[in-house]
Parts: sequence; C-alpha cells; structure tokens
Amino acid sequence: MKRSKMMEFGVGLFMLAGILGLVFLGLRVSGLGSGVGGDTFTLNANFANIGGLKVRSKVTVSGVEVGQVTGIELDPKWYDARVTMAIDSKLEGQLPRDSTAAILTAGLLGEQYVGLSLGGAPDTLKDGDTIRDTQQALVLEELIQQFVSNMVKN
Amino acid sequence: MSHEHARRRGASRRQPVRQIMALGRGTLDMIDALGRAGLFLMLSCLGIPSREGIRLWLRQMHFVGVMSLAIVLVSGLFIGMVLALQGYTILVDFGAEDALGQMVALSLLRELAPVVSALLFAGRAGSALTAEIGLMKATEQLTSMEMIGVDPLRRVIAPRLWAGFVSLPLLTIGFSVVGIWGGYLVGVEWLGVFEGSYWSNMQGSVGFVADIGNGLIKSLVFAMVVTWIAVFQGYDLIPTSEGISRATTRTVVYSSLAILGLDFVLTAMMFGEIG
Amino acid sequence: MDDSLLVDVEGLHFSRGEKEIFRGLDLQVPRGKITAIMGPSGTGKTTLLKLIGGQLYPDAGRVRIAGQDVHRLPRRTLFRLRRRMGMLFQSGALFSDLSVYENVAFPLRVHTDLPEAMIRDIVLMKLEAVGLRGARALMPSELSGGMLRRVALARAIALDPELILYDEPFVGQDPISMGVLVQLIKTVNQALGLTAVVVSHDIKETLSIADYVYVISDGQVMAHGTPATLNVDQDDRVRQFIHGEPDGPVPFHYPAPDYFTDIMTGRASS
Repeated sequence: MKRSKMMEFGVGLFMLAGILGLVFLGLRVSGLGSGVGGDTFTLNANFANIGGLKVRSKVTVSGVEVGQVTGIELDPKWYDARVTMAIDSKLEGQLPRDSTAAILTAGLLGEQYVGLSLGGAPDTLKDGDTIRDTQQALVLEELIQQFVSNMVKN
Repeated sequence: MSHEHARRRGASRRQPVRQIMALGRGTLDMIDALGRAGLFLMLSCLGIPSREGIRLWLRQMHFVGVMSLAIVLVSGLFIGMVLALQGYTILVDFGAEDALGQMVALSLLRELAPVVSALLFAGRAGSALTAEIGLMKATEQLTSMEMIGVDPLRRVIAPRLWAGFVSLPLLTIGFSVVGIWGGYLVGVEWLGVFEGSYWSNMQGSVGFVADIGNGLIKSLVFAMVVTWIAVFQGYDLIPTSEGISRATTRTVVYSSLAILGLDFVLTAMMFGEIG
Repeated sequence: MDDSLLVDVEGLHFSRGEKEIFRGLDLQVPRGKITAIMGPSGTGKTTLLKLIGGQLYPDAGRVRIAGQDVHRLPRRTLFRLRRRMGMLFQSGALFSDLSVYENVAFPLRVHTDLPEAMIRDIVLMKLEAVGLRGARALMPSELSGGMLRRVALARAIALDPELILYDEPFVGQDPISMGVLVQLIKTVNQALGLTAVVVSHDIKETLSIADYVYVISDGQVMAHGTPATLNVDQDDRVRQFIHGEPDGPVPFHYPAPDYFTDIMTGRASS
C-alpha cells in the first residue's frame, strides 16, 4: 500500500514536471507572452520591402520592445507589404501621427524588427491607423549593387 | 539411395523457383505480421478505461516514464552542453556568438530532443517492455489470464501502450529544458556569451507552434511507434529464453530504424519549405 | 445428450504448420470424476487442454462443455464459460507482479463485486486448503516450484469452478511435493465435487488418482479404461507406455536412414 502511494506520487511529480517544462519552453524559450502582455491596439504600416521580417518579430520604440508584428500581407492596391502590429495599449494616444516606422536589423546577421521613431505632431495614432512614413528594410545585395555602380560612375 | 540423390539434383535445378517462392513467402509473412500488429494495436487501445485500468496505467507510467527520467535528463544536459561548445566555436568565427541560444534551442527542440529521447527510450523502456511481456508469455501468465477470463490485451498490453504514449513526450520536454539549461551553463557561464542575447535571440527565433509544437508531434509519433514495436515484439515472440533475447534485440533495432526514418519524413513535412 | 458428460470431444483434428497433432480424437469426461489424459511427450496434451479451454481452434471436430460448443461461442460467452473452468499450468503461471494473496484474489476481483472482507475470507480459505495461508504476503519469486503450483491451485479453485484442467501437475517435483499435489488434487476433487482433467506422463501418480484414463498417441486415442484395466491391457504400445519400457512399438530412435549406410555415405552430403 505504502509502495503504491509512493509510486502515484512519483508519477504525479513526473507529469507535473513535464507540464512545468512545457510552460518553461513556452515562456522562456519561445518568448510567448513576453514583452507585450495584456491589452494591445493595432497599427498598420506599408513598406516597399520588408526583407526578412516575420510575424511575431518585435516592434520597438527607442530600442524598448512595445509590441509585435501580427500580420504581413501584400497590399493589392500598391503592391507593397502591409504590416499589422499589436502595440501595448499604454501607448494608445501617445504616439504622434507623423511617427515613422523602419525595418531594422539586430546586428549583422540578427533578426529584423520594426523600429518606431516618434515625430512631433500634436495629433496621435489610434487603433487601426496607418503609419505613412516608412523606411524599407536594407537588403545587403542592393546596398552592394549601389555601391559598385557608384564606383563605376565615378 | 540413388533415388535420394536424384531428388537432391532435382532440388538444386529448381533453385531460382525456390528463391522466388522464398521471396513470396517472406512478403506474405511480412504482410501477415503487419496485419496482426495492426489488429493487436486496435484491440488493445480500444475500450473504456476503468478505475482499475487507470491504476495499472499509473503503475506502468512509473516503470516506463519515471524510471527513464534519469538517463534522459543526464543525456539532455550533456547534449546541450556539447551543442553550446560546438556552436560557440563555429559562431564565434562569424562574430555571431549571440545567436548561440537560438542555435542550441532550435537544434534541441526540432531535432535532438525528440530523436535522442526516443532512441534512449527504446533502449531503456522499450527493451524492458519486450522482455517483461515475453517473460509473462513464457511463464504462461498471459494464457492463464485468458483462462481466468481476463483479456491480456486490455489488462497487460493497453496500460503499457498508453504509458509509453504519454511518457515519451514528457521525457522529450524534460530533455529540451535540461539541454537548453546545459547550453546556458556552457555558453553564458563558461564561455561568456551575454546572457541577455542568449535568451532574447532564442525567444526571437523559436516559435511555440512551429518549433516546440512540431517537436512534440514528432515525439508523440515516436512514442507510438516505439511502444507499439516493443509491446508487439513481446506479445508475439517465441516463448523461450532465446526468443526473448532475440525479440529484445529486434525491439531496439526496429525502433531505432523507425525513429530515424520517420524523423526524416516528419522533418521534410514540417520544416521542408522553411529550411 | 448425456447429462453425465461435462466435456465431450468429437472427431478433433488439429495441426500446427505441417504437423498433424490430432486426427480424429474422441474422448468424454464424465461429471465429478478425475479423467487422466496420458501419452508420451510431444503428443499434444497441452494443446488438447488449450483446445478445451477455447484458446486454440480445431481444424475440424467439436469440443462441447456442458452441451455448449466452445469454438462456436461468441467471445463474451466464451469468457463467461471460462469462469466455470480453472486451469493449472505447468509453470504455475502466477502473476509475477502480484503477491500470493493478490494472485488468489485476482479472479474474485475480476468476476465478482464482493466486498473486500468477503474476498479476504475466501482467499484465506483457499490458501488454507493448499496449506499456504502463512505465505500470503510472499511474492511468487520467493516460492519454490511446489508452492507455486499449490498457490496456482488455490487460484484455480477461487471461483469454485465446475471443471479444472491440470497441465502436467507433477513435472519436476521432488517426491514430497509430488505427494502433496497428488493428495491435494484428490481432496479438492472430492471436497468440491468438481470434474478434473489431468494431463500427465507421470504414470504412477496419475494412475493413483484417476478414475478413468485415456492414452493418446499419434493424434488418436490409443487406449482407454480404468487404471485397473489399463494395467492388464495386452496392447504392446500401451504396455510399453504404462511400464516405461525404453524400446518397443514406440521406437527409441528418431526416424533415420540406416545407421551403417548413413555413416559410410553421408559424409559428402551433410
């Protein structure tokens, strides 16, 4: 009787450890729920080229994570990329309307993310608004091509 | 006597026919075994679990899962540490040692944790299951159970199958967690990778569904295949000591091949277009 | 059909692979008696018990228990019928993960809803009958061969079956446990009034307890009768078996080509 109770306890611990492990993997390793938890509002931005940006890439202001990319699709009107972002709702009504969005790269080989730079207009961005002024991703090949063609011209 | 010789000569002349017959018999035997194994799996897994069934399942969870925990965790720790060490020496040449966390986590979650835990599980729990069931068969315990009017598929086989199905994914999670921690020990504590970038690079690149979820699906598939092979080999073996030792070997060999083969197929299906 | 028969085997044919084990076996087991089935090793005596228990299916012929054709029954009815049978296996076949007590309680727990106190009473009663009440807490691995079989007997009679099948109960026992088992089979049979089928090739012990004996050989019944009539049977094969003569109609040699020619010519080919 005692032995079987010990066994049940062991199996219980085993299952619990497995579930806790999964939670650890979810939170700590895949970063689920990190950064932006709770309420968010939606902003859109159109980019000529998004490079390697992916859904769940982070969105930052001055390097601080404030949200993440929730959707990327081709805008059928302009044939550019329409990026949807979920931003911490604390910033709703705080970001000036003429803020700009740029696709930046963390380090030379790192992840790409969206960086927001604040403007100075009195109007602010609301849920569902679109950021007009954007800067596309830097694609290394294009840069090199430009550099080489400049060299040839000179 | 001369008649005997004539018969032998005739036999050797028919050699190709015989080989084709042997091939045909081999194929039929294989189909027969597959059919029996499939039926066996179906009969064992169907049926409503009773209170008694849950108690038996718990017992098997102990033998199959808890008892395999130590070997799986220790292996996971070492593999994580080695990954970090190897990865660091490669990444540091590109100045990309910040991506160490990403490399360790992705290799573990997508590939190493499911495959290595399944291989260890086949060696530790699979062979034990085969031997145990084989011994029960050899000592007529299965037959006597049937004579008492209890179906051994339900009483002996089903709890072991379900314990295997549940245990291996849990063990795989443990393997990943410990491996990532091992990578952290070597990469951050020893080689001096910046702690923040170890975790944030990992978080930036690991998808919960794409990587953790797919890894767990792999592990679940391996769990089913390995447990099925182990239990069927035990149930189907020739009940002698030689039969048991052969079946145990077969369990490990078949399981390992099935794991590696299926891993390729599953990887191609899950990550094929991404990679 | 005759109500005094519990088991009726008619024209049983069974083969395993190429080998024909039974070809037209007939035998009857009367109610309340000990019927012995004897024969040299390898004549399929254990197979016969499995056929009676419905674990193997014959190629032709019938086995009827209390009028029911065992091999035509749906699985559920067959399992219900098996509750009325007990079987004692050669190795005892105790469940190695359960204690002696739990082994004997096993059929009761599976087939009845008796309260724990009642199960305890029955288990202790059955263990007392085989003289092992004191060993109830032991695990099967801690028992000797003779004790294993006694516990298995207690388990086989736990549900008070009508029919009990003994598979080689005397094999590999020392003289004392052999005596104990002979005594037990006899008393259990008398006390519970059950029908027993004993499969064995231990002649002396089997003849001492059996009411009726069948000797099978080559897949058929070679002789049958009470122990007394068998002892004086004139048939050579029966006499060879009953008296344990090494050579006779059942040859000492496995079929082989002539010894001399085999030695002189067989070198090149084998």
